[in-house]
Amino acid sequence: MRAHPGWAVVRFIVVAVGAVFMIAPFLIMISTSLEPNTSILPSPPHFFPQEVTLDNYVRAITENNFGGYFLNSLFVSVATTVATVAISAMTAFAFARFDFRFKNVVFSLLLAGLMIPGIVIIVPQFILAKNLGMVDSLWGLVFFYTAGQIAFTTFLLRAFFERVPHELDEAMTVDGAGIVRKFVGLYIPLARPALATAAVFSFLGGWDEYVWALTVITDPLKRTLPLGIAAFQGAHTTAWGLVFAASVVAVLPVVIVYVAGQKHFIAGIAAGAVK
Amino acid sequence: MKRTAVLLPAVALAIAMGLSGCDIGGSAAPAADVEQLAPGADVTGSIIFWHGYGEDGAEVKTLTDVVIPAFEKLHPGVTVTPVQIPPGDMHQKLVTAAAAGSLPDIIRADIVTVPELAKLGTLVPLSQAMPDFQDFADTMYPGPLETNRYGDDYWGLPLDTNTKVVIYSEQGLEADGLDAVPATLDELKDAAENSKDGTYAFAEGGAGGWNLLPYIWSNGGDITDPDYTTADGYLNGPKSVEAIQMLVDLYKDGKLPGIILGGTGTGTWDGVPSGEYVSMVDGPWAMPVLQGAHPEVDFKTAPMFSGDGGSIGVVGGEDLVLTSQSENKPLAAEFLRYMLSKDAQLAMGEVGQLSAQSTLADDMSNLQPYYADFLTQLETAKPRPVTPQWAKIDDIFAKQIQLAFQGTISVQDALDEAVAQIDPLLAQG
Repeated sequence: MRAHPGWAVVRFIVVAVGAVFMIAPFLIMISTSLEPNTSILPSPPHFFPQEVTLDNYVRAITENNFGGYFLNSLFVSVATTVATVAISAMTAFAFARFDFRFKNVVFSLLLAGLMIPGIVIIVPQFILAKNLGMVDSLWGLVFFYTAGQIAFTTFLLRAFFERVPHELDEAMTVDGAGIVRKFVGLYIPLARPALATAAVFSFLGGWDEYVWALTVITDPLKRTLPLGIAAFQGAHTTAWGLVFAASVVAVLPVVIVYVAGQKHFIAGIAAGAVK
Repeated sequence: MKRTAVLLPAVALAIAMGLSGCDIGGSAAPAADVEQLAPGADVTGSIIFWHGYGEDGAEVKTLTDVVIPAFEKLHPGVTVTPVQIPPGDMHQKLVTAAAAGSLPDIIRADIVTVPELAKLGTLVPLSQAMPDFQDFADTMYPGPLETNRYGDDYWGLPLDTNTKVVIYSEQGLEADGLDAVPATLDELKDAAENSKDGTYAFAEGGAGGWNLLPYIWSNGGDITDPDYTTADGYLNGPKSVEAIQMLVDLYKDGKLPGIILGGTGTGTWDGVPSGEYVSMVDGPWAMPVLQGAHPEVDFKTAPMFSGDGGSIGVVGGEDLVLTSQSENKPLAAEFLRYMLSKDAQLAMGEVGQLSAQSTLADDMSNLQPYYADFLTQLETAKPRPVTPQWAKIDDIFAKQIQLAFQGTISVQDALDEAVAQIDPLLAQG
């Protein structure tokens, strides 16, 4: 049955309206970043700059060790992504293809961690970090970000690994392949879309995270980007031009990662949806 | 997709909870004998100073390029490491650091967090530790000094202060056909009721204590007794109810803009320059911003609208506190003294930080003419109730006020209910 051509128009309008809503904040952000710095946001907001200047970018990037914050964020996000995906892939593989005692109990425990809002455990977590010597350290951020993301990523990947046909697995067994060879040669390549999705989530999780970084990072040299941007906000006034210029620069890697991984990303989400 | 980024598996959580049990709660009331921090002591070593000065603009630059180097020059060999914490998140950072025992040596803390930190046992009682405490206290405006009191002691000294006054423009008066900005609450009510269509005599940007207490105080009401033990008979007393009733009546008649409840509408910093609002009540930081953005408008200040209680503003600002965890209290105390010196106060005054020392009022007004009205207002300005419970009390206050504005309940009922919820908190101290 073919859809009525009118539906295409309706669909287009709905999608277009949605797109406008999604893009509007970005337009306001870019527009504000290109206008002279101000403590008062224009009202109504400008979607296009009325007086273009690159002043905010120059100041945001040069005045506050912005390059250092950027590198810190990059390091933390990449290390978190590598660690999370590597550990979660192995964990998910174990849950998907091995049978062991209390498997479901352990998996439930893992998921239970997802149900607890982060802010509730922030004080005990901070004390734990202090006792482990992981306060005010970028590696400390990587450790806690990774620990925080393993549960969700494992959940995502397990569903994917379980859908790998048993026949392929058995064929490799007949060929004499061990567990490691199966994991590396069969499961990892087949799960590429899911791994890409997991990597994007991990990267964004590390790149955007603010509350935990605020809590443990005190040394200005170890600030990540969200902390650096927040420093532009004063007690009573905020340098919006600088905040938005810094935000535009901060958002670029995210856009690049997302666009580069988009194909895999959507496939991965769809795959996770149907079990 | 938004997930909470940092989550530990349940097992680790259980361990963490166990650890926290050992670490928190150890330190309570101050030790019987407090380490004495005499002025002029021979200081060495280094300290860490947490502050929330704005990274943009001149505050941080003046601190790091002028004030701290001058102190380090006075005491060769010592190091002060300043650390900027975003002001909006300072409270969370302080609470977690206090729980884990990783506070710095000295903190520029928002005045409303001092009693809370004192209650946690994390601060040095300066009135006991500093032999020269009273000399400093004598120079301060009473309102800012009061913000440091908890129990029988003072736990900090005011580093900078502010209050709110009426800000308006000649152009705005003209647009609304007024000869002068209202001086009293009665005149304000009159002007609001008779304002032209599309203009308002005044606007308020919120319904919390910071916004509405000046109206209550100026009308002769109060929120609690002077010792912060009960709100009964104060917040729900006739004068407090009358002040809120006036605002609610204006709101219902469409004479007070809806932004008071956080609704949509022109913000005060847009409405006053455009003439939509004749006046607003705001702090000194508004002046440079408004003048910079609207050089064509002539912004002026006037005292808070007065009533039976006088013209009473609300105290804002920051206090300097020393932490009991500090391993170099003598140096921290010397730095505190230097931050309160005339040199340092004037240096920070040049970048917008009003001194809380009434003895420096003339010097401050010389720096910026618009400081004068704020400093006069500070002579009688009151702090919000100085209690560790203030944040919760403020939430209750704002919520009940909102109900009264929405007309769900009467002002009297709303404030009675607020008192019923606030008094148990005050009893906890």
